[in-house]
Amino acid sequence: MTTSLTRRLILPLVVITTVALSMLVLFAGGSSGATDTATEVAATVGAAQVSTATNLPPAAYQTGRANSGAANSTLQVFDAKGNLVSYGNSDIVYNQPSAALIPIGQALYAQNCASCHGNEANGVAAVGTSGSYPNLRGLGSATIDFWIESGRMPAADTTSVQANRKKPRLSHDQAIAVASYVSSLSPATPYIPTVRNLSTANVSDGFSLFALNCAACHTITGGGDALASNTYAPSLRNIPATQVAEAIRTGPGNMPRFTGNLTDTQVRNVVAYVTGNIQHPNNPGGLGLGGLGPVAEGFIGLALGVGLLALIAFWIGDRT
Amino acid sequence: MSTDHGTPVSLSTAGPDDPHMQPLARNPQRMELAIGLAMLVGIAGIIGFGVAYWYNADSWVLGLTLGGGITILGFGITAWGKYLMPQGPFVEERHELRGTDEERELFAAAVVQRGGGILGRRKLLAGLAGLGLAAFGVVFAFPLVRSLGPLPGKTLTKTNWRKGTYLVDQTGRELHVDDLAVGGIVTVFPQGKQDSPEGQAVDQTVLVRVATRDFTTRPGRETWGPSGYVAYSKLCTHLGCPVGLYEQQLELLVCPCHQSMFNVTSGAWPQFGPAPRPLPQLPIYVDGRGYIRSQSGFSEPVGPGYWERS
Repeated sequence: MTTSLTRRLILPLVVITTVALSMLVLFAGGSSGATDTATEVAATVGAAQVSTATNLPPAAYQTGRANSGAANSTLQVFDAKGNLVSYGNSDIVYNQPSAALIPIGQALYAQNCASCHGNEANGVAAVGTSGSYPNLRGLGSATIDFWIESGRMPAADTTSVQANRKKPRLSHDQAIAVASYVSSLSPATPYIPTVRNLSTANVSDGFSLFALNCAACHTITGGGDALASNTYAPSLRNIPATQVAEAIRTGPGNMPRFTGNLTDTQVRNVVAYVTGNIQHPNNPGGLGLGGLGPVAEGFIGLALGVGLLALIAFWIGDRT
Repeated sequence: MSTDHGTPVSLSTAGPDDPHMQPLARNPQRMELAIGLAMLVGIAGIIGFGVAYWYNADSWVLGLTLGGGITILGFGITAWGKYLMPQGPFVEERHELRGTDEERELFAAAVVQRGGGILGRRKLLAGLAGLGLAAFGVVFAFPLVRSLGPLPGKTLTKTNWRKGTYLVDQTGRELHVDDLAVGGIVTVFPQGKQDSPEGQAVDQTVLVRVATRDFTTRPGRETWGPSGYVAYSKLCTHLGCPVGLYEQQLELLVCPCHQSMFNVTSGAWPQFGPAPRPLPQLPIYVDGRGYIRSQSGFSEPVGPGYWERS
């Protein structure tokens, strides 16, 4: 009796376990191991020497109120020549990379970027044709840094609709150098943001701002989703704090840019919510199943629940 | 024990020594002990639930004790039936459901002759009962008709946007002309209505900046897009979902429900998807201090179609 029962149970058990395990792997693949690189970049607001010889660069994108990523922030730091090198407040500090990096950045630009964006970084490619490659002049260092450090540039496929996030080809220091060079051609803000005091941010406010401004495309669990015309909103599960802030302030690709309608405090709150609750979700029940909602959960429920019930019914009815 | 008991027998004809009457278990005593132990564990779990509940334990303790107890007890009861009860199989023939002809005739006679006679004796009461039922039927139609509701009238076409209403974000802050960059979007409400249900339902509007100079989406709307700002109702004209997805390079507003796409530079013309009409545009202007305000209400009723409008 025992042997035949076992023999009959083995096949359905194997099938159900295989299906359930493969679905778990499939749906739980989005788990994150994000490290917070916000602390990497040291905030350098020292003795703010507010010079009268102000030399404020224009904003790459029209920005409005103070403390919204624009140069007209609370704290401003100028170098000896009167150029703005840093601005911000207790929530976000925007730093321009050192001008000493410009020669390195220029060499890296020539190797990695010039074939498409052109020697002049004005979007005219090296072969002399003005194509669809974006003009980089007049962009702030935050924009350049975001595209390189998220691995999107240099692009794997220059003809694709949207550049995918991948392992960056340039290191953090190299990206900073290129950003320093390109943004020196035609100085503009925003500079590279460093989000400060993330641990004391208002995460609740960050959640409501996220729900209102981000969740429509990135979904409420931050998993990302498909959009129009072969574009998609990427997952937010593995993005460092600096890149989240850069994306909000510069609006890469099809993402809207958030300037005057979000203060630096609000951006910090959103970044805290994304790098905290989104990237380290407190999944009730143990497994997030990719945060896909009822589809994944229904699949697991059907396979495990119905399968288990079928096995129990089989055991009760078996008479051998 | 797998002797010849494959053929079903009638339960009444099976004697105590019949193979059909034997339990499935090879060693019924040991099986009884095992099942008894399982049931004891189950009972302990259920009692444990009571204790845990009394001491206000964590919900996972409550779930584990109650769920585990019931499951193990149920397992014991099922195993009892499976291993220790006569294993059968038995048959039991159904008895005839139909009454005999004689019984049926007697019953019909009782209903028609005696019942009819009794009812016919009180014609007034029978008539009143019929009238009551008829009245109930008529009155019952009233709530059915009323549940269709009052005609919505102007509420479908009216919003809280008026001449000179400030556009505010969800925190109530007025939007300034310097606030958005080209490619920026913000959900706005009429000032004072950002927290009200109707403000969040029918008044919600998306403010998008598509240019730095005055922008005309369609002929006749020359003054509606000051400094490149255009405002559209956030309610999809298909089924009323919030059209909150904005792709700034494609200049498309996308509805998350059925992927209707509205081109913001051409008056939110639906260029893909099931939406039948463009999103209504809100005429706006920039006042002397640089704040964005509405010139009037929407250009047409917001939201999905309804019966007076296809």
